[in-house]
Amino acid sequence: MKVIAVHLDRCTGCRTCELYCATERGSDAKTLLAAVSETPVPQARLRVEGAAGVSMPVQCRHCLDAPCLDACLTGALRRNADGLVVVDDARCIGCWTCVMFCPYGVIFPWPERKLALKCDRCGFMEEPVCVDVCPTKALELVDPATADEVYRARRRDAVGLAAASGAVPVLLDLAK
Amino acid sequence: MPSIIIVGGGVGGLTAALECRRLHPDQSVTLIDREREIGYYRTLLPMFMVRTLAEEKLFFWKPVGDAGLDVRLGVGVRSVDAAARRVVLQDGEALAYERLIIAPGGRPVVPPVFGKRSWPKGAFPVRSLEMARKVRDWIVGRKHIVVLGGGLVGSKTAVFMRQAGYDVSLVERQPHILPTVLSAQAAAPMQAHLVAMGIAVHVGATVDDYRTDADDALSEVHISTGRWIPCQAFLIGIGSQPETSLLADSGLLENGELVVSDTLRTSDPNIFALGDAVAVRRDGLHHPWTWPQAVVQGRYAGANVYRQAPVPIPRVTRVNAQNIAGTPIVVLGGAGAGTSVVSRRGESSGVWRELFLEGGRIAGGALVGDISGAGPLHALMVQGRDVSAEALDHLKTRTRAFAPAAWSRLAGDRLVKGGRTR
Repeated sequence: MKVIAVHLDRCTGCRTCELYCATERGSDAKTLLAAVSETPVPQARLRVEGAAGVSMPVQCRHCLDAPCLDACLTGALRRNADGLVVVDDARCIGCWTCVMFCPYGVIFPWPERKLALKCDRCGFMEEPVCVDVCPTKALELVDPATADEVYRARRRDAVGLAAASGAVPVLLDLAK
Repeated sequence: MPSIIIVGGGVGGLTAALECRRLHPDQSVTLIDREREIGYYRTLLPMFMVRTLAEEKLFFWKPVGDAGLDVRLGVGVRSVDAAARRVVLQDGEALAYERLIIAPGGRPVVPPVFGKRSWPKGAFPVRSLEMARKVRDWIVGRKHIVVLGGGLVGSKTAVFMRQAGYDVSLVERQPHILPTVLSAQAAAPMQAHLVAMGIAVHVGATVDDYRTDADDALSEVHISTGRWIPCQAFLIGIGSQPETSLLADSGLLENGELVVSDTLRTSDPNIFALGDAVAVRRDGLHHPWTWPQAVVQGRYAGANVYRQAPVPIPRVTRVNAQNIAGTPIVVLGGAGAGTSVVSRRGESSGVWRELFLEGGRIAGGALVGDISGAGPLHALMVQGRDVSAEALDHLKTRTRAFAPAAWSRLAGDRLVKGGRTR
């Protein structure tokens, strides 16, 4: 299963992802111009955190041990066959217990509709809207296995740089 | 011989049973509950009573064909004999166990007004589905409902009853509603909202007498401020107390409380306990009697029963979230906790966000009207992080590109800094 990755060096904090998430997934009209005048105002399922210089979009991590799943009072939250944590709108009563239990703050109350909103990674679409619209390609849909390869390469680079600079690697002696 | 016996089929006990079956499939499990129906969402009972929730949405579990899970309903447990490793049922049958999980939950607190006489028709302590069914049928064709207890459950029940068209009175002993979770100032707009809905709110009062009609059904109750109010159904929502009577002679109680470690183990290594019946020891005693806690504790108890080194539960917070008549509320801990208060509040919008700090750490707090960022605040509280430097920032509304209209009202409101020392 692919996950949404963020290139921190590319995010400018423009919130285009938020606008189009709300438009595509929350509005009736599906166009930004019409969406802003809808009542209730459409809501995004992700949020751009941070300030100018350091920003990143944050959306549901679909935690393996998800606190929200334990918290749901009505059975609206469940993990689907793809391993994604999703909300069954018909069962959600808007009690906001899951909102309180999400340590990332990425379950959003939508009081006007009495619904808890969260990222479902646009599971039924070809590509998540946020990934599609990001003007700097800061958001990317990647396979976790590929991400591991990226990390490995970066670690290799770091070790190589350290060696080139003459730094002596420090090893932990667990026996001490 | 049953390997694991679980006393109590609330969400905690049932979760433990299912977890035991999943992790220890070669061990048989016997689940015992005095109720005839289990596997329902207790928190949805107020909605169920006024028929805004369909019956099929009330259940999260139905008995399934699992030969290793023996579910015995409608029978209580009389006593636990830890030395002989057996429990005795109310009908006298004795069952031996290898591991025991005790999750009997709570029993509703009842007001002294009914203490001496037999209960009249129309008075209900609402905690079980059986009782909720009785209320649902009883209120048909009746009009006047009195809810005793202005806490989260009582207030929510009153709102649902009012929305269903009943004449509702809410009676609370303390000077304001939601007394254990909100400060007087934070509760004021909520209380005003309930009054605006048409609920008669009687605070600083309790019910001290009642009258019945010829059919022995309630007709009026007397509140201590000196009035008789019409009452055809009297719903009691003043909390619960641990159901530990079955453990009176078990040797498991400590000053009358069923105390467990944060791995949910009792003083007997073969016996675990969880849910609304227990006090959890972790830097003091905690009573986190909430649904999410019961679920987590059920999972951990089921996993811990056969572990060499049982694993502690991740958190012992007693937190609550509610949507009362359209106003979202998150309660991170009891009013009165901590030594200083940091708050942001809207003068006109009814938005109230406050944190109670103890040595820089979050000891509690309340978010009313705007609950954005509640999850991270709860996580900071669980971590015990020192937030004194940025507490006020944490209370800022966390906006998004499209902000809910109701929340942007706070932006123009006065900022209250620092706060008072208790």
